[in-house]
Amino acid sequence: MSRERIDRELSLLRAGSLEVEYLSGPPEFVLYRAVPTSGAAIQLPAESDVIVPVPPGYPASMIDLAGLPVGSPFLARVKGGVNSQGVVQADGRQWQLASYHPHNNGGGPPWNPARHGFHTYIDQLIAWLDRLQ
Amino acid sequence: MRRSPRRLTSDCTPREDTVIVRMAEPEAGILLELLFQRYPHAEWATFARFGWRQAGETLVLTLAAIDAPRDGDLDPRVPHVAIDEAYTLRTALAADAHPLAIGVIHSHPSGCEPEPSSIDDDMDAYYARYYADFAPGRPYVSLIASHVDDELVMSGRIWWQGAWLGARRIIAERRPLRTWTLRAAGHIDAPLRSRTARLTAAFGEAAEHQLRSATVAVIGAGGTGSAAIEVLARAGVGHLIIVDPDRVDDSNLERLHGSTLHDAEQQTPKARVAARHVASIDPTCRVTAVIGALPQADIVHAVIQADVAIGCTDQQHSRLALADLTVRYLVQSIDCGVMLEGRDGAVRGQIVQLIRSLPADPCPYCREMIDSVRVTQELMSPEDRAARRAAAGEAQSRGESGSPYWHDLPQLNTVGYLTTMAGAVAAGYAIGWITDRFTTPFARLQMNLVAPFLDVTDADGIPDPTCACRRSRGWADQGAADAFITAPAHWPPPQWVSKRHR
Repeated sequence: MSRERIDRELSLLRAGSLEVEYLSGPPEFVLYRAVPTSGAAIQLPAESDVIVPVPPGYPASMIDLAGLPVGSPFLARVKGGVNSQGVVQADGRQWQLASYHPHNNGGGPPWNPARHGFHTYIDQLIAWLDRLQ
Repeated sequence: MRRSPRRLTSDCTPREDTVIVRMAEPEAGILLELLFQRYPHAEWATFARFGWRQAGETLVLTLAAIDAPRDGDLDPRVPHVAIDEAYTLRTALAADAHPLAIGVIHSHPSGCEPEPSSIDDDMDAYYARYYADFAPGRPYVSLIASHVDDELVMSGRIWWQGAWLGARRIIAERRPLRTWTLRAAGHIDAPLRSRTARLTAAFGEAAEHQLRSATVAVIGAGGTGSAAIEVLARAGVGHLIIVDPDRVDDSNLERLHGSTLHDAEQQTPKARVAARHVASIDPTCRVTAVIGALPQADIVHAVIQADVAIGCTDQQHSRLALADLTVRYLVQSIDCGVMLEGRDGAVRGQIVQLIRSLPADPCPYCREMIDSVRVTQELMSPEDRAARRAAAGEAQSRGESGSPYWHDLPQLNTVGYLTTMAGAVAAGYAIGWITDRFTTPFARLQMNLVAPFLDVTDADGIPDPTCACRRSRGWADQGAADAFITAPAHWPPPQWVSKRHR
């Protein structure tokens, strides 16, 4: 895990007024707070917290998966939400990891560590929580 | 800074020679041209920036940039170096915008050794205090270059953590450079001299001393690495750093130099086999062997002290890790690999590949050699891999693609004569670099033993200007945010099987 790189990426997000935290592990996660959703139109919250695992060897390994709080109403509506990739404990809560793989044939661009990181993964998370099923 | 007669000690006399300074092209060439522009009669100087890493007891410094003097920054009317205060202040203020160490490099005129004069002592004492205010917590570096007996020679001392440290080795990419403090080194045992007589006859007496003073790191001690290690040990290289995480099994015996049936039965670590084999060839060769992998921190400490590194693994993450050391720590390296293409007795390709990896070369990402899916899978824990394989199987049973979870990657076939050839030729180029007798006339060399034309080489590639390798060259630890790879937490800690590095 490249803490220096993650710190730099999270600084970019904070400069854009996004609330993000690095959660030390093991396992390590990045917590994105209040990610906007399209839920308001269907009487669901307009935002949700999301955690993303820091992959081993990052940034050589691609960022993958996304987790929502256990019991989140979005789990039944996001891509891969019903295909659990495990339940993890972080930030004092339980989270269910969804089968969301944007950089691995999952709808996003192929992983390129020169261009992608936790600062760009927010785009994949926003798209994920916008395209509710 | 003209030299005065040599003095025994001063306040700036280094306590220990525990520093390695690394320089790469094009900076090294630019630096030397600048320093010797008034040679042979007068001196010249420049400020420079250095990355650094405290690697055990050794401080490794890497030349990251030259802050060359502008008109008026140095006084051209005097033969010694006289630095204008504005130049000093400019470099000090610039330190706010970068995290690197600051240093002064100057030349001595013809006939003068790179021995600091009393004026140099005064300058270094002053600058060490001065830059501590502008760049606290960073080393201050002072290097002197001169020509002695037609040889480029450099000395260095570094103010670091309240003490003066001397440069043990100053390494310039593919350029003969003698470190001043190495004058007394290089005792060559008579048996070695006779054993390497053929090499010495071709390369000259100096080559033997250069090889004896050299450190070569071999990353991967399998078929390719064990061949490279054998060639280097027989050539008289003084110190080998051997890194491999694996143990011997039956399938390795066809190509692993130095291995025995007993090793396969006992699953002896490959690093241990290599260390034992080197000792049987040349007991005077210092071996640092470790069961582990780059970029584990202790292994990085060792490898960045090498003159040359040879990458001998078929793992893409290992290639990335070595490339990261090439870029950030200026370790010139050669990556080698082999591939045997064929099935059911029909051999279609027998390929040996060598890739030159110098700090200014395109990195593996720029060369589009890296498959991120493969690297991600290589770096997973065994538990994660099992879970991913199971998830892929479940997806396929649902009629979905299993590829988001797991890609089955084909096992590369190989054979002993190809691995031996690749490792031996890579070791040959390492010897060429160390002795400055020849260099790699290619960026990438591919030889297909069953093709109509034996060799295919390609030209230098163009680095991707957006790649991290363009930002962090020579930045060492200070470029950590641009590292290509980090060591996964699930890897076991390194185990040293022979002498640990300093």
